[in-house]
Amino acid sequence: MTIKILAVIFVGLASGLAVGAGFVAFLTVLGVIPRLTQLSKTMKMIHHYEWGVVFGALTGVCASLRDPELGISAFVLVPLGLTGGVFVGMLAAGLTEALNVFPILAKRINLDGKIVILIMAMVFGKIFGSIFQWIFFVHH
Amino acid sequence: MEFFIKNNLLPILTTHEIFVLEVNVLETTIYIRMRNRVQSPPNGIILLKDAAQIIAPETILPDLKLLQIHQLSEEDGNIVVIDIMNVIGRITKQFGDLEVQTIGPAQTIIEVVAKKKGVSIPFFLLIWFLLFFGSAMTLMNFHDDVSMKSVQEKIYTIITGKHDAKPLLFQIPYSIGLGLGMILFFNHVFKKRINDEPSPLEVEMFNYQMDLDNYVILHENKESMKRVHDD
Repeated sequence: MTIKILAVIFVGLASGLAVGAGFVAFLTVLGVIPRLTQLSKTMKMIHHYEWGVVFGALTGVCASLRDPELGISAFVLVPLGLTGGVFVGMLAAGLTEALNVFPILAKRINLDGKIVILIMAMVFGKIFGSIFQWIFFVHH
Repeated sequence: MEFFIKNNLLPILTTHEIFVLEVNVLETTIYIRMRNRVQSPPNGIILLKDAAQIIAPETILPDLKLLQIHQLSEEDGNIVVIDIMNVIGRITKQFGDLEVQTIGPAQTIIEVVAKKKGVSIPFFLLIWFLLFFGSAMTLMNFHDDVSMKSVQEKIYTIITGKHDAKPLLFQIPYSIGLGLGMILFFNHVFKKRINDEPSPLEVEMFNYQMDLDNYVILHENKESMKRVHDD
């Protein structure tokens, strides 16, 4: 019996370790946190940001495994949604950058100076797609 | 003289000649630094002052500046690489014994620019729409793939204790935040910047250009590679 329990604990720990390490590795590759510290000039606080990510991930684990209910105002969701969106947007931007899409595209169509317009196309496309999905698309 | 060298018989006479040569060589030194990229109209003539920065004694500087390095022709195509060895060769041919000190890059890339081409508007609009619709669809696929909808409903229930099939109060800020995050990452609020640092995209563009240049330097420059069958 104890062996079984120990085995389950071990397997749980191992899978948690793999998922956690994968998440952090993914964040590192996309360079979201360095980018944020660079923008806000808070390089010294980087360790606190690390802990922010760790506690955020743990809160997410608790929320998805234990189903708590807080019963507070729905307007708390507005900042949560906004920050969540910014995070996903930065992930998407980091991915686009890692794949080197823009430099090649801009060079092909002689648009070196005006990549901003291309970025804006993707930004508006993302906002539009997301809003469209939540308001109309989910019905079908 | 040749007879003596061929037969390994060095005459005593040469020691005197070598002494004279050494005095001449050290007379004038010029410094040359090749530019990285130079643009030129088709069929233009590339002068030394176009392709390089020069420091030289006043007496020869004007002539040196106007030294012709390369005449562009139709066969040259878009890009020509001028190797520094070539340049030194021409300088020594024209000016005799100068000591040429080279600093910096070992070659210049000449970019032949025909007429400055404008961006064609329909083509541009097509690409803009392509990116717009492509991103919209990619994002919807992503949301579906990671079951974003059920997660958002769950978050709504956690916070409020009620169930809502369309928690728009969470979803609309999320959607706007998505765009904001991308702008933040690329450091552009339309044309205004948040701070002075180059955006990752500009760095990426620069790296891409450097890679292209490196490729061109090796592949367009006939002197930089020697194959087995080349004569």
